[in-house]
Amino acid sequence: MSGLSRRGFLVGALAGGGALTLAVSCGGSSGATRVRHADQTGELVANLYVTVMPDGRISLIVNKAEIGQGVTTAYATLAAEELDVPLDRVDVQYAGSNPEMRTSFNMQITGGSTSTKEGFGALRRAAAAAREMLIAAAAASWKVPASECRAEDGFVLHSGGKKLGYGELTKLAARERVPGKPRLKSAKEWKLIGKADRRVDARAKVDGSAQFGIDVRIPDMVHALVIHGPVFGARPDKVSAEAARAKPGVIDVFPFRWGVAVVAEKYWQALAASRDVTATWGKGDVAGLDTEKMQQAMRAYDDDGTGVVDSGNAGKAIARAQTKVGGVYEAPYLAHAPLEPQNCTVRVDGGRAEVWAPTQSPTLVQAFVAEALGIDSEDVLVHTLLSGGGFGRRSIPDVCAQAAVIAKRVKRPVKLIWSRESDMTQGFYRPVYAVKVEGGVEGNKVTGARMHCVSQSIALSSKSMLGAAIPGVPAPLKSRMVDSLLAMFSTNTMGDLFATEGLRDTPYRFGNFELTASPVQTKMPVSAWRSVGHSVTGFVMESFVDELAHAAKRDPLELRRQLLPEGSRQTRVLDALAALSKWGTPPPAGVGRGLARQFSFETEVGEVADVEIVDGRIKVRRVYCVVDCGVAVNPDVVRAQMEGGIIFGLSAALDQEITLVDGVVQQTNYDTFPSLRMFEAPEIIVQILESDHEPTGVGEPGLPPIAAAVANAVFALTGVRLRRMPLQRAWNERGAK
Amino acid sequence: MKLVVNGRSVEVAVPADTPLLWVLREEVGLTGTKFGCGKAMCGACTVHVDGQPKRSCVTAVGDVGDKPITTIEGLASEAALHPVQQAWLEENVPQCGYCQSGQIMSAVVLLRARPKPTDAEIDDAMSANLCRCGTYPRIRKAVHRAAELLGGGAGEAPPKTAAGAPKGGRP
Repeated sequence: MSGLSRRGFLVGALAGGGALTLAVSCGGSSGATRVRHADQTGELVANLYVTVMPDGRISLIVNKAEIGQGVTTAYATLAAEELDVPLDRVDVQYAGSNPEMRTSFNMQITGGSTSTKEGFGALRRAAAAAREMLIAAAAASWKVPASECRAEDGFVLHSGGKKLGYGELTKLAARERVPGKPRLKSAKEWKLIGKADRRVDARAKVDGSAQFGIDVRIPDMVHALVIHGPVFGARPDKVSAEAARAKPGVIDVFPFRWGVAVVAEKYWQALAASRDVTATWGKGDVAGLDTEKMQQAMRAYDDDGTGVVDSGNAGKAIARAQTKVGGVYEAPYLAHAPLEPQNCTVRVDGGRAEVWAPTQSPTLVQAFVAEALGIDSEDVLVHTLLSGGGFGRRSIPDVCAQAAVIAKRVKRPVKLIWSRESDMTQGFYRPVYAVKVEGGVEGNKVTGARMHCVSQSIALSSKSMLGAAIPGVPAPLKSRMVDSLLAMFSTNTMGDLFATEGLRDTPYRFGNFELTASPVQTKMPVSAWRSVGHSVTGFVMESFVDELAHAAKRDPLELRRQLLPEGSRQTRVLDALAALSKWGTPPPAGVGRGLARQFSFETEVGEVADVEIVDGRIKVRRVYCVVDCGVAVNPDVVRAQMEGGIIFGLSAALDQEITLVDGVVQQTNYDTFPSLRMFEAPEIIVQILESDHEPTGVGEPGLPPIAAAVANAVFALTGVRLRRMPLQRAWNERGAK
Repeated sequence: MKLVVNGRSVEVAVPADTPLLWVLREEVGLTGTKFGCGKAMCGACTVHVDGQPKRSCVTAVGDVGDKPITTIEGLASEAALHPVQQAWLEENVPQCGYCQSGQIMSAVVLLRARPKPTDAEIDDAMSANLCRCGTYPRIRKAVHRAAELLGGGAGEAPPKTAAGAPKGGRP
């Protein structure tokens, strides 16, 4: 049975079945459907997530996008744990759009490092419910109390020695009541959680069989690319495409609101034809935008801003202090640059559309496609495919809207693949920041801290983007979506919540602390980029605390320990990091050591970087990392995410920036937007702290400390304080002003 | 035009200047080879032509002729994965996985030339393959592990994990 038809069944069977967000309460009227389905197919559809197949295998629907973070493995582990089967007996499918599965902000979305936390309860309950139905069925057939039976390794066993495989029990189990509160294993009973380390998606990713969005094939499908204008948002003016249209295989070349679409039977034909297209362009949304001037203005920004935190009297405390430290910390626009370029495949059929997309949010795909086609978002069916990296960019389905319009026009299913250049220049960047910080030090004590955070607002940008997408959403969903999005993107009195995260909620007790914020606006859209605001605020706060430590002539780790709550997750991580990195032991000559930490996505991470400068190049040799993420469901996946977050963060910290000159993005491919390569990848040593806390974020929290750890190491080595990312450019231009 | 892909002869009707990448993906139907940058800067499209690594996104199919082409789909035998693929599994290398076909193809050529590569040789051979997920430390370990599996002896000791912790355990 294909994923689509099972999903169709699920919607039919379980819609209206009540509160399905936890996936276990689907009794009542759906019971008859479950029985009928089991009798016909031998499958026990226990709930939205878990189906027990007639061969005893478990079919699991993962309602999240696999973007490399390992959510497939985590969810399979949680389900296998409660069903007591080995991990390799779980087959995973990715949920497409399904109104019953809008479990995050009334949407289906993957982000904010929340998946494992979200699934930890829901998936275990869903699997435990299936297990209890299987046990109840076996007990009934043996006419023994269920309490005398247990599940083990895919069988239900009776204490008297009887034994039945899950696959033999599906039809009987379908007749059992769905338990409302199934018993969950205690941590002591876990066989897989905290131990299972093999990624379930690895095999297909080493033999070439993994099907990413870009790999999908639909009958009668044609291929398209879009030529975007030189300035973001520019519309084509005069298009000359006669030569292109005459090329073999070309179906259509036409201007539309995003650029010029080139459609051909094969992508290589569209690619060849696109070289024969010439166009003149309108001005574009960001005409004239110059990031160097913009950053200059942000640096000098001296309005009062919106008050975010005002505790004590920071102004006075700093003014009176013996020593003052600080300056303006800066960070540029950044592209996500996932290795799989944005792509989407769409079939339009009358008032309905079917979409195949590597996406972080099927719900937003529905909204964007519906708006583009002028149809109802419930008439858009989305199939979620593997993503070749996401980092936030795949929550913005602009490419899907474009593909939908093209498919409607050519009346054939279309796979639209952006060039790398389009992927890099089409906006939704990590916002630009300038954060002015001041601190006071009296003797060896910190007297106060004050910060003013100037940044482009993700909240405002998202609102205007969603404003465009919302018209296609039906009214009831619209209000729920808008409500939850407003909550998410709130620009209330505290300012943009993304902009100041990591600052306004800092665990440091400065005594006197003032934080103000000012949003700046441009028409270049910004969005969540791996670790969102923390990608900058970790750099700002942790460099600043290092400045305070040096001014107070205190060891940076000791000062942090003193400023942080005693006995907290923060100090526990610091202590472990001190031991792991042998902090306090002088590094070898020519090596600087820097330390930083950040609490993000409810996870505490501390990092120590060993840095050298060789021929003017900042080289990170080794990074020690300690993480407290609650229960580590798959410890090796957690380690991999720390490694990945550190390397992704290092690429940004050292080298990456998106700049605009007269509205034109200057970086178009991996040569001008460099990422760390093998020869510069540091050795990374990760320690996961034992914890019985529920799982917290993992995909993003490894990133925020790394830039400051490196900048602090550069200071330790050279006495030069780098307050601007990318750090390599700041180093090259040090003292230039 | 006749191509020899993974030991199989295939006939394709495309202009000679068509990039090999798209011929493999769209005409031969092998999608394991990936499009990343289109400019030979990321290595996601790496295949072997006559045993040498080639960026198929900038290789004109007409320049390949009847030289044998190997893609990621052609590495494993019926019975088993290629030792490099096996090592990738053992070290849990892939995250998103999109670059890994290219990484593995590059590593296979490296190990053919250098059965026991040093870290510096791994840097040289693998730095043209970009990974945005940051799997480099694991790729390094997996290359050393593959060297062992291929019978290159113990190879160079892989870099130590934290405090010499056993794999899968917590340090």
